[in-house]
Amino acid sequence: MKLVTAVVKPFKLDEVKVALTNIGVSGMTVTQARGFGRQGGHIEIYRGKEYEFDFVDKIRIEVACTDEQVEQVLDAIVSAARTGSVGDGKAWVTDVEKVVRVRTNERGPEAL
Amino acid sequence: MLAVTNIPYPSWLNPADNTWQLVAATLVGLMSLPGLAVLYGGLVRKKWIVNTMLMVFTGFSLTLVVWMLWGYNLAFGPQSHFGPTGSFWSGFIGHFTPLSTAGAEQGQAVSGANTLIPFHFSTATLAYFQFVFAAITPLLFLGALVGRLKFKAWLLIVPMWITLVYCVNAALLWGGGFFAQKGAVDYSGGYVIHLSAGVAAFVGAAIIGPRRWQDRENAFPSNLMMVAIGAGILWLGWNGFNGGDPFYAGADAASAVLNTNVATAVGVLTWLLMDMFFSRQKKPTFLGAINGMLCGLVAITPSAGWVNGTGAIFVGLIAATIVWFAWNYLSRIRPFSKVDDAMGVVYTHGIAGLVGGLLVGILADPGMVQYGVAGRHFKGAGSFSVGGWFYTHSFHQLWEQFLAALWIIGWTAVGTTIVFTLVKFLLGGLRESDEVLSLGDVAIHEEEAFPEPTFGEPLMTPSHIHPDNV
Repeated sequence: MKLVTAVVKPFKLDEVKVALTNIGVSGMTVTQARGFGRQGGHIEIYRGKEYEFDFVDKIRIEVACTDEQVEQVLDAIVSAARTGSVGDGKAWVTDVEKVVRVRTNERGPEAL
Repeated sequence: MLAVTNIPYPSWLNPADNTWQLVAATLVGLMSLPGLAVLYGGLVRKKWIVNTMLMVFTGFSLTLVVWMLWGYNLAFGPQSHFGPTGSFWSGFIGHFTPLSTAGAEQGQAVSGANTLIPFHFSTATLAYFQFVFAAITPLLFLGALVGRLKFKAWLLIVPMWITLVYCVNAALLWGGGFFAQKGAVDYSGGYVIHLSAGVAAFVGAAIIGPRRWQDRENAFPSNLMMVAIGAGILWLGWNGFNGGDPFYAGADAASAVLNTNVATAVGVLTWLLMDMFFSRQKKPTFLGAINGMLCGLVAITPSAGWVNGTGAIFVGLIAATIVWFAWNYLSRIRPFSKVDDAMGVVYTHGIAGLVGGLLVGILADPGMVQYGVAGRHFKGAGSFSVGGWFYTHSFHQLWEQFLAALWIIGWTAVGTTIVFTLVKFLLGGLRESDEVLSLGDVAIHEEEAFPEPTFGEPLMTPSHIHPDNV
């Protein structure tokens, strides 16, 4: 099993969600996040004074899936979240040793 | 037909005047609570919201207690006459006597400020109306001091400053004192309130010292919607501020309200356009517009019912332009660059109040009759108007305005220095420690503006924090 973590632009969240449900992903976890990459921060002006806001608002999406689904999931995220400009985000994949469904105590891929 | 004697108020009381005066006073009170509380709460960092709002509420309360015990009679009661009639010391202050008896509250209002025609409401009405003006003044200079002032110091500064600075300035300009007798005028407090608050802000901030550099670097506002609510209450509350100062629900009250609003609208637009075309970033900003609003409100205050509509437009235009340049350029020059006036009170209140006070001597239209009923042609008893250079071609009024401004600046600077130095001595300092300052509200009050929600539900009913919390 794999865990796909993606950090994307906030306004792309719904498109990513639709793309993932269309390929049969049955659950995802979403967190509001802040960070910086190549896009960098931005300036805001209050009462004539400039303040640097170093971290940009992002959405962090986590999806657990089977090994076979990984490429499909990544394609769905990329096609839905891509705008082509800097700051579109990143996605990465990590191995998952074990998954448990709390309600039934099922283990392994059935718990996904 | 009912006999006249059945009317449940004395013959000198006019219910329309009394009603308007109480409504106007309430509008001015709303400018402090919640107006300034949420305006400041929105402008400070999140960690300072509770401390700032609490200082606003306590300042208002402290001033009212002082006002009842001695403030009102010190500022507006009969003059003490320390010197020969007509001299400065003769018209300096009133008496340290409380306003506490039934007769004192319910009798007809009398004030040295108005010897032309009698007031048509009771002393309680006048005392409350004058109180809300006194109360907002320390709350205005509080804006310069937030983010490091010790809470206990604030509790001492307010009563001392009201007594030593506000009551003296009010007696001299409004209570029939020396400058009032000489002919200087201040319609609703451009000098007594705003210029004085601006000077106290600057001097006070200089004595306390700057906020931590980390707090200055991160001084972005916590909530612009709260700023919008506070600013809106200030603007419309000013209808009572200036509309209440003819002391009659007559034609001049209406003129003062209309002039106040048009000067303010012009102030908003002037600052906005300056930001859009002359600032480095060339961006229209909401907080810039609010600064322009304050400039218009403050600058029209000394002249609201004495200028005509054209004059009011010029007041807003001139004041917002001058303060915009001061805000952006004067602030870089010593001593302004060296004093951490957190909210820029010295500009939007001090300089705007000074400009407005001087403009009375230029733009006041003698056709605007304060106590009259028929404008230019009213020459009856109680007719009062002010003539500026533009209409009279005389600099007399401007000179009187200039002298009064010098007094306000000088006395406020001296009085504020005395009060702050004394409190610093009494408490061993005016600042919270740097450790406390880095935490803010939680360290000082064990409260915060947005308490973090506790996830989940408690496991046991009795609180483990304190046995009384059942």
